[in-house]
Amino acid sequence: MNNRNISILLYSLPIPVILVSLFIGPSQYATPGAILNMFFNIADNPGIVKSIVVDVRLPRVLLTFFVGGSLAISGCSIQGIFRNPLTDSYILGLSSGAAFGAALALAYAFLPVQLSAFIFGLAAVGLSYFMARKNRNVSIVSLILSGIIVSGIFTALLTMVQFFSDPFKLQSIVHWTMGNLHNASWGKLQSSIIPMSAGVAVLIIYRWRLNVLALGDDEARTVGINPGKDKIIILFAATLASSSAVAVAGIIGLYGLIVPHMVRMIIGPDNRQSIPLNFLFGGMFLLIIDNFSRTLSGFELPIGVFTMLLGAPFFIFLMKKTNIGWNR
Amino acid sequence: MEQVNKAVQVRNISFGYNGQLILDDVNAEIEAGKLTFILGRNGSGKSTLLKILGGLLNSQEGVTRIFGKNSAKLNVSERSKLTGFLNQHHNAVFPFSVEDVVLTGRAGFINFIPKESDREASVQAMEKVGILHLRNRNYTDLSGGEQQMVMIARLLAQNPKILLLDEPTTYLDFSNQSHLLNLLKQLVKEGLTIVAVMHDPNLAFIFGDDFLFMKDKKVLRSGKSLKAWDTEFLKTIYHGKLETIPYKGRVLLVPFLN
Repeated sequence: MNNRNISILLYSLPIPVILVSLFIGPSQYATPGAILNMFFNIADNPGIVKSIVVDVRLPRVLLTFFVGGSLAISGCSIQGIFRNPLTDSYILGLSSGAAFGAALALAYAFLPVQLSAFIFGLAAVGLSYFMARKNRNVSIVSLILSGIIVSGIFTALLTMVQFFSDPFKLQSIVHWTMGNLHNASWGKLQSSIIPMSAGVAVLIIYRWRLNVLALGDDEARTVGINPGKDKIIILFAATLASSSAVAVAGIIGLYGLIVPHMVRMIIGPDNRQSIPLNFLFGGMFLLIIDNFSRTLSGFELPIGVFTMLLGAPFFIFLMKKTNIGWNR
Repeated sequence: MEQVNKAVQVRNISFGYNGQLILDDVNAEIEAGKLTFILGRNGSGKSTLLKILGGLLNSQEGVTRIFGKNSAKLNVSERSKLTGFLNQHHNAVFPFSVEDVVLTGRAGFINFIPKESDREASVQAMEKVGILHLRNRNYTDLSGGEQQMVMIARLLAQNPKILLLDEPTTYLDFSNQSHLLNLLKQLVKEGLTIVAVMHDPNLAFIFGDDFLFMKDKKVLRSGKSLKAWDTEFLKTIYHGKLETIPYKGRVLLVPFLN
């Protein structure tokens, strides 16, 4: 099979996954058979089945796909601009900032939860970046360090909010931080899809520039790219997409770190292919994980728990098995 | 209007960093179409001067002109058409293929996504350097010498008028050193201007057209004024005991054996 066919196959893989996901769920009405019957107009309860598929599953499937895609494509871009395979928006403090923002809004109701999570997520990444910046340079080590510090600060603040919250609010805060997609709705999709799509679009446009930036600042500048300007644009787009995703779905830990590595193992590090594929595979994997979390047990496990439990061993397996080029 | 057949003119530039002066009132000229080596001991300011020529650093005092244009007023895109720069160290983090690394040299011609013509230019550059057989290999899997040749190909894909090379032979074995330096001579014959910082004066004396000698934050003089290949002068540059042996009208340096 030549490269072109492989690409076409990889790019179209999410379509069947999205379709199959619409058939999966705990409802006793909207069984796969019933949904098929609906299409042929021979269903017993077409109204219920249609409403479950269109009003419950479709927004959840689309939201899950966009959340997974946004986290993965942002992680890949952030790894590229900081020339650091060990980073993503989570490590830059986005999640703890967003969690604090959400908790604050849940506890004191001064802002919509999503908006507050978004603002504080963005602020956390900005803080990490500017704390690490010295002499117009952002070194890898200082970035990771300031990310850890910023995460620590926001985690401490989150604990404080939790400490002073009553048990009911505490429960919803804890639930939010575990990451969840089960209350997906068209409304949630509407409020988040524009910033996610905008961020993703910019990253796709800038995808080849990431190849240039990944070789180093001097190497980019001497061939005619202003590394400072490009990095700010890409970092902002990545943070926009991932903080919107976190704001709507809660914390899905390390997802943006793991997926880019898996995509690189599949198609190599060239960002021209791997950036769009991160969006598609990031969306697809999260959908598959969410399908498991919806069906494996009678109750729904939070998606954040699931991504860690499934993702981490899978990642270790791939890392051991494949030569991904980090040996030097 | 100053002379434009000078590829580089440096007038009274000074550069300091963290309160420490690295270049002190440096003057130099580099002719177009020549292979010029910058020589001197560690810490004499060679790499800093080269970085200023490449626009990676800006001198606090003085003016640098690249083909008559004030270097400080060039934007990154204009500059990438004039000078290309090879860093002493480069560590790629991601295992890009050689072809993808070379292709990044075309960034000055590319808005967002490379075109077929950019790919062709990269292939030509790899062919010229003699690394076309490596095009699908991972850059990170290559030896230091091979990586250096890839970065040279990247410079050629960029197609600037002046190549600025910082220690281009450092990671190369003996035969690759002569391969690279002969390639540089070939490129100069085809019209490029090349300026390279070198640790090894002998390789420089064998292959170079002109030389800038640096000592104590200054350019002392250029090689053209070295009429009889002055051993005493070379001793002051390299700060120690050495012997010279004649070589094709120039000299080679031999370290003094205690």
